[in-house]
Amino acid sequence: MSLLEIKNVSKIYGPLKALDNVSLKVENGEWVAIMGPSGSGKSTMMNIIGCMDKASTGEVLLDGVDIAKESDKKLTAIRRDKIGLIFQQFHLVNYLTAVENVMVSQYYHSMPDEKEALEALERVGLKDRAKHLPSQLSGGEQQRVCIARALINHPEIVLADEPTGNLDEDNENIVLDIFKQLHREGTTLIVVTHDPEVAEEAQRTVVLEHGRLVKEIINENFTD
Amino acid sequence: MKRQKMFLKMITASILRRRSRMLVALLAIAVGATILSGLVTIYYDVPRQMGEQFRNYGANMIFTPASGERLTDDTVSEALSQIDSANVVGCAPYRYEAVTILERPYMAAGVDMAEVEKTSPYWSINGEWPSQSGEILVGTSVASTFALSVGDDMTLTYDLGAPEGATVDEAKNGISENVNEKSFSVVGILDTGGNEEDYVYISLEDMEALTTEKGGYDVAELSVSANSDELSAYVDSINEDGAVSARLVKRVTQSENTVLSKLQALVFLVTAIVLVLTMICVATTMMAVVAERRKEVGLRKALGASNKSIIFEFMGEGLLLGGVGGLLGSVLGFLFAQMVSANVFNSSITFHFALVPLTILVSVLVTGLSCILPVRSAIDIDPALVLKGE
Repeated sequence: MSLLEIKNVSKIYGPLKALDNVSLKVENGEWVAIMGPSGSGKSTMMNIIGCMDKASTGEVLLDGVDIAKESDKKLTAIRRDKIGLIFQQFHLVNYLTAVENVMVSQYYHSMPDEKEALEALERVGLKDRAKHLPSQLSGGEQQRVCIARALINHPEIVLADEPTGNLDEDNENIVLDIFKQLHREGTTLIVVTHDPEVAEEAQRTVVLEHGRLVKEIINENFTD
Repeated sequence: MKRQKMFLKMITASILRRRSRMLVALLAIAVGATILSGLVTIYYDVPRQMGEQFRNYGANMIFTPASGERLTDDTVSEALSQIDSANVVGCAPYRYEAVTILERPYMAAGVDMAEVEKTSPYWSINGEWPSQSGEILVGTSVASTFALSVGDDMTLTYDLGAPEGATVDEAKNGISENVNEKSFSVVGILDTGGNEEDYVYISLEDMEALTTEKGGYDVAELSVSANSDELSAYVDSINEDGAVSARLVKRVTQSENTVLSKLQALVFLVTAIVLVLTMICVATTMMAVVAERRKEVGLRKALGASNKSIIFEFMGEGLLLGGVGGLLGSVLGFLFAQMVSANVFNSSITFHFALVPLTILVSVLVTGLSCILPVRSAIDIDPALVLKGE
């Protein structure tokens, strides 16, 4: 059974079809990139997989459970327990330190543990910046805090929306290296990106256009 | 780290590290709590303050004999025992006798000058209060009739009644040789604008010497510091015994009641308005806080925060602000009330410790109520829309 299976999913906003009969399978431990121009439905797909939106039609099976039919309360629980989110804008709580930002995710999931949060920051090379506020961190550092926060609860899937969109090349490489490391450790990654170089790092790339899945590219040269 | 500790850390960090916005909310709550605490202090202190002011307008209770007998020290003391001694500002017994001054009839009052000073502080004396035997206080009207001024001497003549052995005609015509005369030195001229100006006032001892008769009062005027209900209870209690007939000086007690109830109603109204304004101010600020933190709320929901968690966090911040604002307000409110009391009533007030928890409780409640709408709008935030920057 695939970890994630999207079957004939459409998302309709009035006259607009943001997603049109899309189907996709993601296996456990796989690294998939979703590419496409603006308005192609990438974000809608990310929101549906991330349990922040519901499909108008079709099935979205996560671990065999159709999340398209779940209540908002249940979707919140699934998001909390199974999904790690990484955002282009980082979205850190600006009045909490790096380690506290990581602990917020623990707080909603189970029990805050500062030691564990510091270890997560150490994994992304930020242990010495743990007590800094987001305003005292560079963009790359903020994104790494965001990654540490996404990983802290050991999610089944990490969803990253344009994770390198706001980073310079050096920081982009740091983030991609972290993703490679995560993939080696067996984390399932779904990365939405505009950047072909980022997509090339994934095992598989699916391309969306006008809400339709138009192409699927297997990266033959993929290496961990 | 326990969840509660993390919760406290989040709400305190939100307040302490976002000082400017939270300072506005805290200021709104503290100002509201200050005025609330100050006005409640004044509300409860006004009757005391006003009571003291009203005591300047003279006696508010009168004792008269219940039967034909005059009042005595014993009957007055017994009646006084029915009144809480701490509330008795003064009790001035009066003994009235008809006298003649240069053969013109006048009323003289034998009084305890020290007590009259307490019960009638509004009396304006040109000169001094009589302090020893042989001194007299003369009403303005009497003084002008006889062109008396401070330092002059005058004589009071008291008719002791027809002497034994006088003829019927002599008694009928009131012609009597049986009179007693006493010379007094005028030490003060009394100006009240009322009937008191038609009298002369001497000490009770001088009255006894003049009349050659000991004891007994016609009336006792009392100044009692109490509200109208307490005064009525005192009167009822005294009248039950029967020896003394007590009644209230309605002119004073009723106007005191009217002014007090209007003043308290005004303070109550202002307090209610201030509470509503505080609620509006806090609600507006919290609305702004929620609007400003839409993305943060969206993020928290995206991370798996339930609606209950979001409610707890915003309410926690609001209630913490309410508590701190209430604490500040209860201290500042006392200073505010003290300032008002000093400027308006020219006296100080006592700090009511019970008002501290009350003010904090009301501030927390008001803040909690004010947060309901903003928090409702927070839980309606859609994480997907917010994270996309819409």
